[in-house]
Amino acid sequence: MNTRGRLWVLIGPPAIVLLAFFVLPMINMGSFSLRQGSFGAARQLWTIEHYRAFAANEAFQRLLLRSTWLALATSLLTVILAYPVAYHLAFKAGGRRMTLMMLLLVPAWTSFLLRILAWKLILGSEGLFSVALQALGLMQEPRPILLYTPTAVVVALVYSWLPFVALPIFAALQRIDVRLLEAAADLGCPPWRAFVRVTLPLSVPGVAAGFFFVFIPTLGEWVTPALVGGADGVMYGNIIQDQFARALNWPMGSLMSLVMLAAMLGLLGLLVGLARLLRLDLEVV
Amino acid sequence: MLSRRGWWRWLGMVLVLSSMLALLGCGRGDAEGLVVLDWSGYEQEVFWADFKAKHPDVPVEWTFFADDSEAYAKLQSGFKADLVHPNVSWLEIMVENDMLQPIDTSKLSNWGGIMEPLAKMGQVDGVQYLVPWEWGYDSILVRTDKVAEVPDSWADLWDPQYAGHVSILDSAEAAVVAASLALGYDPYALTDAQLASVKQKLIELKPNLLGYWSDYTEINQQIASGEVWVGANCWPDAYVAVAAAGVPVEYITPQEGRIAWVYGYAIPKGSANADLAHDYIDALISVESMAEMANQYGYGAANAEVAELTDPQLVELFNLDQPEVLSQSVFFQSLSEAQRAAWTQLWDEVKASQ
Amino acid sequence: MQRQRWPSLGALYYALLALFMYLPIVVLVVFAFNDSPLMVFPLKGFTLQWFRALGQATEMLKALRNSLLLGITSSLVATLLGTMAAIATMRYRFALKGLFLAVASMPLVIPYVVLGVALLILFSTVGVPLSLFTVGVGHVIISVPYVMLIVAARLAGFPASLEEAAQDLGASYWLTLWRVVLPIAAPAIMSAFLTSFTTSFDEFAVSFFLTGTDTTLPVYVYSQLRFPNRLPIVVTLSAIVMVCSVALLLLAEWLRTRGEPATRRVKQ
Repeated sequence: MNTRGRLWVLIGPPAIVLLAFFVLPMINMGSFSLRQGSFGAARQLWTIEHYRAFAANEAFQRLLLRSTWLALATSLLTVILAYPVAYHLAFKAGGRRMTLMMLLLVPAWTSFLLRILAWKLILGSEGLFSVALQALGLMQEPRPILLYTPTAVVVALVYSWLPFVALPIFAALQRIDVRLLEAAADLGCPPWRAFVRVTLPLSVPGVAAGFFFVFIPTLGEWVTPALVGGADGVMYGNIIQDQFARALNWPMGSLMSLVMLAAMLGLLGLLVGLARLLRLDLEVV
Repeated sequence: MLSRRGWWRWLGMVLVLSSMLALLGCGRGDAEGLVVLDWSGYEQEVFWADFKAKHPDVPVEWTFFADDSEAYAKLQSGFKADLVHPNVSWLEIMVENDMLQPIDTSKLSNWGGIMEPLAKMGQVDGVQYLVPWEWGYDSILVRTDKVAEVPDSWADLWDPQYAGHVSILDSAEAAVVAASLALGYDPYALTDAQLASVKQKLIELKPNLLGYWSDYTEINQQIASGEVWVGANCWPDAYVAVAAAGVPVEYITPQEGRIAWVYGYAIPKGSANADLAHDYIDALISVESMAEMANQYGYGAANAEVAELTDPQLVELFNLDQPEVLSQSVFFQSLSEAQRAAWTQLWDEVKASQ
Repeated sequence: MQRQRWPSLGALYYALLALFMYLPIVVLVVFAFNDSPLMVFPLKGFTLQWFRALGQATEMLKALRNSLLLGITSSLVATLLGTMAAIATMRYRFALKGLFLAVASMPLVIPYVVLGVALLILFSTVGVPLSLFTVGVGHVIISVPYVMLIVAARLAGFPASLEEAAQDLGASYWLTLWRVVLPIAAPAIMSAFLTSFTTSFDEFAVSFFLTGTDTTLPVYVYSQLRFPNRLPIVVTLSAIVMVCSVALLLLAEWLRTRGEPATRRVKQ
């Protein structure tokens, strides 16, 4: 089999699956932004009314901006917290590294809803922390800690994404040849310098993958804000979800998703451009 | 280099595990049965025991939804169900879109017991499309030990003394009706100007809110833990559950009236098992089945006789034996597609505003 | 390697993080034994009633089985497809490669609810009845980009010259793939599989729109929030799943280290 043939064998199946079950339905979905209604006759009518409505809706636009900041903060924080643990596991944890890594992932097999419920019990006004703080005399009356604020959304999201970010960074760090670092050390390079000059640049693809893993779904997130965000923690994703599941206004939901997609691609382009400028090798992006 | 054999062992283990599970999956039967699109909690066999007795070989399967709009969207997208359990407020829009088949009440042996006013609510243009099963209230649940003054109206939700301890149901329909009542408007005859002030009013509620509650477990816990003092749009079963746990709470009757809802069963157009569906409904509306529901969840039953079989405390609390109390309540009514869209849009803008 | 005598800073950090990850799980396990249908502190007393009730909750157990089946099958398929795509894009040059990469990563950027509705419309137009299969398709689409990115990131670190060398030595292309490329990518493939499984096992939005009468566990749990007096049963089930997962993991680790020659362990 020649190169071309091999390529077809490799790329054919994923391409066909993506085309049939992703590209086609998404094009159809995207076209909804130009339709009048979600069902029946209104679905057959074309209009740009929804575009006008969105352009005029400052509340939604501001919400998108705020959600973008929230998503950026969440992703940065998660990467910063996940890096040391991935580093530790990759270089210092010996043969148990995969098991230790998996141990971090296993809690995610419990329903996210239930885990958030448990966090609310821990942070709630009668919860573990509140009771402990009161016993220590640090808090006067029972009240919830953090809960029902935008900060709570960030914390809950960091909690849920951390293992997913540690994983790609871990994978990237693992493929670094330890001999490189030993060579650096032999040549008198101090460890922190070896880290900055060798380890960190080589782990950039993993870090980038981890960052995007968090940033992208977080921008569209709706469950977490609904559960712990309170009245001020509502995110853009909640409104999209509402448009689809409650308002049954699929055209508006579709348009709002398109806008979010555009905003996200723009931002990603910016980040990738920045990385190029800094001569970081993102490779996979 | 990390041992590659280690990795392969892991992968091997996964493969073995998967094939075991695949075998597990083979045992599943695909017998044609009755498909019920329902809220979870209603699948308990005590509710449909008569159907089981009559058709022991017909399997019943459920698909659950957690919001009426979800059930609607699923049906509209071609999901085939034999029964659906919507709020009466969705009936008109479903009939308008030709999604339901008429119910033949002569096939229901228990039909005679259904209360007249509720039966009427299941009709569109004189045709019976829905058999009412349960009804209940959306009212305000209050932690009596936490508040200095127990609220007695919908307007009290805005009272600053409850700041940070109010939670309201995350539902456009419920929020718009509650705010309309607080403003003294008829929620189902709002002018554009009134709708604008409803929106303003709901935005003004934000400083008082701890949050929007979206599921029932959430509000129960928030009330029980004392984070929420005033829970708006709570159902009777919230009171039942929280009070049973020994939490001091009161389920108030606001001056403007309680909000009330009626739910029932309807048969989607696409159903090929309409006869079986009728039998299933008949089993549900038997007195025993309804009494079970009333005692478990604290809802009213569509059959007046059920009150005698219901826990007397519940009956008194919710006036389950007096259908006339219903007439003083503000019922969720059918909304047209345009109205529903306008309300949801308004509610989303309220939530998005800062 | 080991120079410090006391636990290193890194180990300490890992322990802290593990605590952070498991604290809610511990709370759930505790509440599985709590004698009250309401999940609030303070605890009310010890009971086994939820475990007994679990035996009768056949709908929920069915949902658990469905979720396991779905998670494993969909992530196997996604891992296969994603790995193929990763190898193709990292090792070949072809026209429209940029476009393919962009499209294949796109599911990451789409809110799950949009994907769910889009697939729902597709299946209802074509007339495919909703079932576990339709949910599985959705999960495969969600997971393929994760797999592709994770595996590609790993392959990027290894020069293609290894494979060329193998082929120069007479190995066929597919044998090279099997003996050289896959082993190199194995850790990433495993990570990718785990990520896919975990995503699928706890995925709600897409499943919600695409489930027929075979409910998955997250969808069931969500609908169960409507009736809190039955919530403790769900919590109990989750606690059991969690304890079993951790036990399985530790067992696997024990088997693995036992199976390895002592010298290997020393070397590491």
